[in-house]
Amino acid sequence: MLGVLAYRLGMMPLIIVAVVTILFIIFQFIPGDEATLVAGATATQSEIRQVRHQLGLDRPILVQYGVRLGELAHADLGYSPTFRGNPLPRILERVPATLLLTASAITLAVVAGVPAGLFAAFFVNGWPDFAISAAVVGLLAVPNFWLGMMLIALFAVQLHWLPSIGLNGPLTLIMPTVALAARLIALIGRITRGVVIEEMRKDYVRTARAKGLSDRVTLVRHVLPNALIPIVTVIGLQTGYLLGGSVVVERLFDWPGIGDLLLTAVGLRDYTLVQGITIIFVVGFLLINLAVELLYRLINPRLR
Amino acid sequence: MRRRQIMAMAAGFPAAMAFRAQAQSESGASLTYGQSTAVLTLDPVHGSFTLYPGGYEAALCLYDGLLSFDPSMRIVPQLASSFQMGPDLRSCTLKLRPNVRFQDGTSFDSSAARFNLARLADKQRNPTNRPLWDPVGEVETPDVETVVIHLSRPFSQFPNSLAHASGAMVSPAAVQKYGEAGIAKNPVGAGPYRMVRFDPGQNLEMEAFESYWGGKAKTQRLVFKSISEASTRVSALRSGAVDVVDTVPVSLVAQLKRDPTLRVVTSSSLRPMGFAINLTRPPLADLRVRQALNLAVPVETIASKVFFGYAQAPDSPLAPDTQGYAPVSKLIYDPAKAKSLLTAAGHGPDKPLDLVMYVSSGLFPGDVSVGEVVANELQQVGVRVQITKVESGSYWDALRQDRANLKWDLALFGFNPSNASGLYQLDSLFKSNTDDGARPDVWNIGRYRNPDVDRLLRQAETDPEPAKVAAAMKQAQEIIWHDAPYIWLQINDNVTATRKQVADVQVWPVVFTVLRDAGT
Repeated sequence: MLGVLAYRLGMMPLIIVAVVTILFIIFQFIPGDEATLVAGATATQSEIRQVRHQLGLDRPILVQYGVRLGELAHADLGYSPTFRGNPLPRILERVPATLLLTASAITLAVVAGVPAGLFAAFFVNGWPDFAISAAVVGLLAVPNFWLGMMLIALFAVQLHWLPSIGLNGPLTLIMPTVALAARLIALIGRITRGVVIEEMRKDYVRTARAKGLSDRVTLVRHVLPNALIPIVTVIGLQTGYLLGGSVVVERLFDWPGIGDLLLTAVGLRDYTLVQGITIIFVVGFLLINLAVELLYRLINPRLR
Repeated sequence: MRRRQIMAMAAGFPAAMAFRAQAQSESGASLTYGQSTAVLTLDPVHGSFTLYPGGYEAALCLYDGLLSFDPSMRIVPQLASSFQMGPDLRSCTLKLRPNVRFQDGTSFDSSAARFNLARLADKQRNPTNRPLWDPVGEVETPDVETVVIHLSRPFSQFPNSLAHASGAMVSPAAVQKYGEAGIAKNPVGAGPYRMVRFDPGQNLEMEAFESYWGGKAKTQRLVFKSISEASTRVSALRSGAVDVVDTVPVSLVAQLKRDPTLRVVTSSSLRPMGFAINLTRPPLADLRVRQALNLAVPVETIASKVFFGYAQAPDSPLAPDTQGYAPVSKLIYDPAKAKSLLTAAGHGPDKPLDLVMYVSSGLFPGDVSVGEVVANELQQVGVRVQITKVESGSYWDALRQDRANLKWDLALFGFNPSNASGLYQLDSLFKSNTDDGARPDVWNIGRYRNPDVDRLLRQAETDPEPAKVAAAMKQAQEIIWHDAPYIWLQINDNVTATRKQVADVQVWPVVFTVLRDAGT
């Protein structure tokens, strides 16, 4: 297990370098000139030349690439015109809000999705199963920004029950969490139902029943631990989607996370900031995947 | 058990961090403003408050200038109680208000004013807003209440520069204390509010400054929150999370007007939109063709249908609230006459006019829709238009190309004279470029060139007699209007909405929502 951990952590810098390289190449092809943007709309040609020189954009591309990697090794993301310098501290101070939202969405998805799936499997082809399956289809079909807008319209504007913007106490967490988690709840519910129905047909379930265990005990003690493995896999695979979804949801709820900052950076054409946030997203994705893999090994003895 | 503890810690840590970062007290009379653009820096130099209008709106609460504007963009005294331009327009003498203190307790006097003017004039420290501050030369301080600013050339619009929000007076002691880089996050001015807490890009919290020279502000606590998503901003207002929001999409105004707890405040902007015409193209150099293009576009319809009436048709190259504005004539929609003018210029079904139109997407209100409407109307009179939607990051660059790389025939553009001076606007848009082959000097992107206009603009800049300046401005507007270097389009309204009980929120034509006098 330590070997896996060491290997994954060792790979991380290489993956980051690869990501930076890809980003560097992409940014070479994006229309628009960074120096013109930094210098401002009324800048004269000589001012733009001066800015280009200051930013080092007049150097050969390979030199710029080398400098970029060198800066990154010193935790310097480069010059962000929005924050007038290295934007790393400004990005990092927004990371907790995104972590909180993502963690809370995963928690909600598990807490709501797993029991729903179990319930549906228990009453397979009965009306609870149909009701839950219909809800699953509904949640999968609804885009998170639309669900978020509907939640705001109902609970903030009409009923005044929940605050619609920002991060200011536990109440503000509710709507963004629901909007972000909706799809994952549905996916987890569906996979739980499928896996449990399949497991119920297996020999060990018959054995458990044969020795006189109740249906409920069989389900919770024997079936669920086996069903957890594919569920954790789904969570791991969906984390990337969740981080992507957080961009839209954060903007909609004015959530002070890095997804909202990414949209701001795109709007301001702050390439350095976009690049920095992308790197943080990649690191976050790698770390969560690593955590999922470790969790996987904890719950699946065959992999230890 | 151990596993569970780890999980709990993993979830609890970001929660604790995030909540702590956002913890704030709720007490006293307080106003919250949901802003469309964020406040990133609060230093008048080094990028001048960075984002327009967000940073400037905050600056208008924290800082006072020597002069300021009223809501109709007339120049009014502020830290200077009076000002007088020299007879040759090469100097400006200001009398300062006595007993004014900065928020750090130091006093505001002529040496503080000189310190700030030197910072503003310094190209290294202040690369933005150059046309406003370039003419500033030596600053004399004969006594603590008098400032004489010498100008390198006759510059009639200098009071507009002093009233511009970038002319904010910063405490010299605070610049000393926090350094050139630190003042952007620790603003200390002589304005009605002082900073309490500032998270750049998210929140700015201010409280009324007890010893403000003009008397303590009506509201004790003022919070600026950045909410860039328009629908989120409007929901926040309707749910009561904020008291004021700016840049309400015109499609949502009707909904807000029906809500009895809200009030909609509008002002007409100073930015007439239009399609700049590339005059270096032979067919477009023909006045008849440019007149035809103007006759083919129903601007009134665009104002009422695309902008739900929150826009108006212009009658001069300047918007009505701009200083120096003089009405010329109404726009006429007459497609039949447009067709006959085009035929007279040699364009018909067998030899149609082909035009490449550049539109931005998201830089100007309704830009793509306006482009589509105009293109469609031009097709109706037989002009073939190819619309190119240009990515925002490269739009300005595509517009300001040198002549060889000018790919467009029509380009959507509008100029907002942030100092309210019509002369500044006409200079930026219509003064002949030094070299039409190179990139334009400022924003004369279509290469308009008329020696009479150049002469009149020079006169307006250097003539000390206001009546003659007004006459020159009027004549220049008439010539430009009839030369039609643009397809003239609408002037949009600025739309702000507040809760009903909030009074005295000002919406300045230069897109500023100003809360310095607001209260409940």
